[in-house]
Amino acid sequence: MPQVRRRRSRGGRALRGTSLVRLRIGFLLIAMVVSVFAVRLFELQGVDASAYVAKARAEGVVTVTLPAVRGSITDRNGAPLADSVDGLMIVADPTLTRKNASDIATIIARRLGVDYFDVLQRLRQPYTRFQYIARRVPATEARAVVREIDAHGYKGIATRRDPVRSYPGDDVAANIVGFLNAEGQGGEGAELMFDRLLSGKDGRATYEVGGGNRIPLGDNSTVPARSGHNLQLTIDRDVQWYAQRALRDAVQSSRSNSGVAVVMDVHTGQLLALADYPTFDPNSYQGVSKKRLGSRALRAMYEPGSVEKLLTSSALVNDHLVTPRTRIVVPPELPIADRVIHDDVAHPTWKLTLTGVIARSSNIGISEAASKISSRRLHHYLSEFGLGRRTGIGMHGESPGLLPPWQTWGPVNKANIAFGQGVAVTAVQMAAAVNTIANGGEYVAPSIVKGRATTNDGTAVGSDTVTRHRVISAATARKETSMMETVTRDGGTAPGTAIPGYNVAGKTGTAQKVDQRCHCYSSARVVSFAGFAPADNPRFLVYVVADHPRNGGFGSTVAGPVFRELMGYVLQKYAVPPSGHVDRTPPLTW
Amino acid sequence: MSSMTNGDLGSLVSQARSRVPRIAEAAVERARLSVVPRMAPRRPGRVPFVALVSVLLVAGVAGLLWFNTSMQQVSFTATALENRAEALQAQRQGLQMDVDALRNPQRVASAAKHMGMVPPANPAFIRLADGKVLGDPVPASVDNSIRIDPLPTRRPKNLTPKPVIEKLPAASVGVDHKKTTHGGAAQPGTTSAAGTKKNR
Repeated sequence: MPQVRRRRSRGGRALRGTSLVRLRIGFLLIAMVVSVFAVRLFELQGVDASAYVAKARAEGVVTVTLPAVRGSITDRNGAPLADSVDGLMIVADPTLTRKNASDIATIIARRLGVDYFDVLQRLRQPYTRFQYIARRVPATEARAVVREIDAHGYKGIATRRDPVRSYPGDDVAANIVGFLNAEGQGGEGAELMFDRLLSGKDGRATYEVGGGNRIPLGDNSTVPARSGHNLQLTIDRDVQWYAQRALRDAVQSSRSNSGVAVVMDVHTGQLLALADYPTFDPNSYQGVSKKRLGSRALRAMYEPGSVEKLLTSSALVNDHLVTPRTRIVVPPELPIADRVIHDDVAHPTWKLTLTGVIARSSNIGISEAASKISSRRLHHYLSEFGLGRRTGIGMHGESPGLLPPWQTWGPVNKANIAFGQGVAVTAVQMAAAVNTIANGGEYVAPSIVKGRATTNDGTAVGSDTVTRHRVISAATARKETSMMETVTRDGGTAPGTAIPGYNVAGKTGTAQKVDQRCHCYSSARVVSFAGFAPADNPRFLVYVVADHPRNGGFGSTVAGPVFRELMGYVLQKYAVPPSGHVDRTPPLTW
Repeated sequence: MSSMTNGDLGSLVSQARSRVPRIAEAAVERARLSVVPRMAPRRPGRVPFVALVSVLLVAGVAGLLWFNTSMQQVSFTATALENRAEALQAQRQGLQMDVDALRNPQRVASAAKHMGMVPPANPAFIRLADGKVLGDPVPASVDNSIRIDPLPTRRPKNLTPKPVIEKLPAASVGVDHKKTTHGGAAQPGTTSAAGTKKNR
């Protein structure tokens, strides 16, 4: 001990100074560094902890969308009208594809039918790292293309999910089904009106991956996808196709502006076909004018013409004001107030029964008969037949037509309305009105959706929700039917619409169109034919309308043949046995 | 037993005294601490216990490792199967699309037309119960066929201009030249007028 003391006292002061100072400086430096560490530690652990944890978790975590399948739209027998198919889009990174752009473009153009030069330009696009190459390619084709490109060793091509909506029938029922636009939302028709029902909700799956495979015991969470519901229409695809072709043939050969054909089941009110011409192909709807994209049958209003005489005469017979045998003298022209009413053909004074007025479609005859009923009562009947009101079929943009209030009817208006000028209807409205007569006097609302479905605004529509109400008595309906049967026989306006073996009831219609410039009736016409068969036990109703046939045709020459073809087709398809007897009809003249 | 005298008693006590210290001595001897004799080293089941515990530990760790590894392995298979399922699903959809395209009524009707088929003229039936023919069966002919393709679209007016018809006068041009200068002067006028008309 004393030795140590001695050593220390000898050079103690110098030693103490240097080593102690060094020690102290050393401690100071260490303390500074450690404090930096401490602060950083506090920062990492205390302040930014959650952010780093999230980053670490996100490193190996993948979120994948579980796609929802859009519901398909089928016809009444399940034949697909609109189907969802797994699709992929092909995208490219031009910075990687620029080198082999021509080879890649060759492969893609050859396999997918996309324009070569367009693809080439996109693969070489500067200043971008993302380019769409092909959209909505069915998954098998897309994967095959990408596999081929990878096999050659070219980089930069990838696929992403892009569901395809295919319309296997092309333009069949396109006016009803509508189309899906580029964003995957309904653009028209049922795709739009039932969009919420058809589209499901995408799900989400989050899980950890390593090496491209899912780590089984890692964090995962799944929100399952909810697929959309299917929609079944009352349309029969074959009848719709036949109706569209027959209608197109008639409209094109008569050089009309457009046409509509409605095929309806008499007792249930279900539409078997609702054909429009011109229409479109939903597989390629771009560039088609907007007028073609909707259904003219539900939206376009027109004056029904002589087919409306059926409603007027039903009203008169139902109120016991006339009978089918009531005698009417029909002069060549009839002055009413300040106007003069003519028939379609010039004729001497006819002596016709009411049946004859219907058979020969005499405007003057029906105006004379209608003078027996008050405007209010006639308006009531027309309203009950569904004129002036939407049918509630469930398609958006449906027009209610136009039925002026009875207080505004002068004598000329009433006479005009009696033979179908001065009111405006849609094709489906008129078909449903004539169907009332076919259905024994009970109006049944037309439907285009089988079962029940909810539209976007929450309304439930469909054949399960149709309403019925009685308009005329069954006896009146029978009398009206026997009057209509005379139209399709010799002596009527459309003997060409008869079908051998069946009793066919029908009515031609030829209405003058309004000229917008002079606010008067022009020489252009809207021709139509409405009929049902078999008349003794009606099963189907067919109504055909053509707008402005330029070949000078009438209801019997333009619309009648379409009716005959469609009715013959539908009777054969649904195996409706022939009547077996010829109905007796009242006399036409006296 | 002999009779006891005092002397004998004394000797007895001394015997007891000498016996008691001997007993106490034995007890003292016994009570005195001494090292327990070492017996053969027999630890009751210590190594087996350790072995058991270590085996359990190793087995547990190894089992967990194996379980984890096999699950990772299975996840590879699962991913591969999922991919295969997706590919098959897409293939099925592709085939379904092909079927729908083949069933397209337009295609069927077009094929039928190529074969020469036509729609029937009148609806007619044979009642199988008694073989009776219902309706009016008429042999279908070409007149009953409907047009299933659209008419070709008409060319717009710009592409089908109306031909302009120019009627030239007959060989009288040469004759008039031989006549007066008035006629000659008139001729170029008319021809130039005709020329401008043509150009217009």
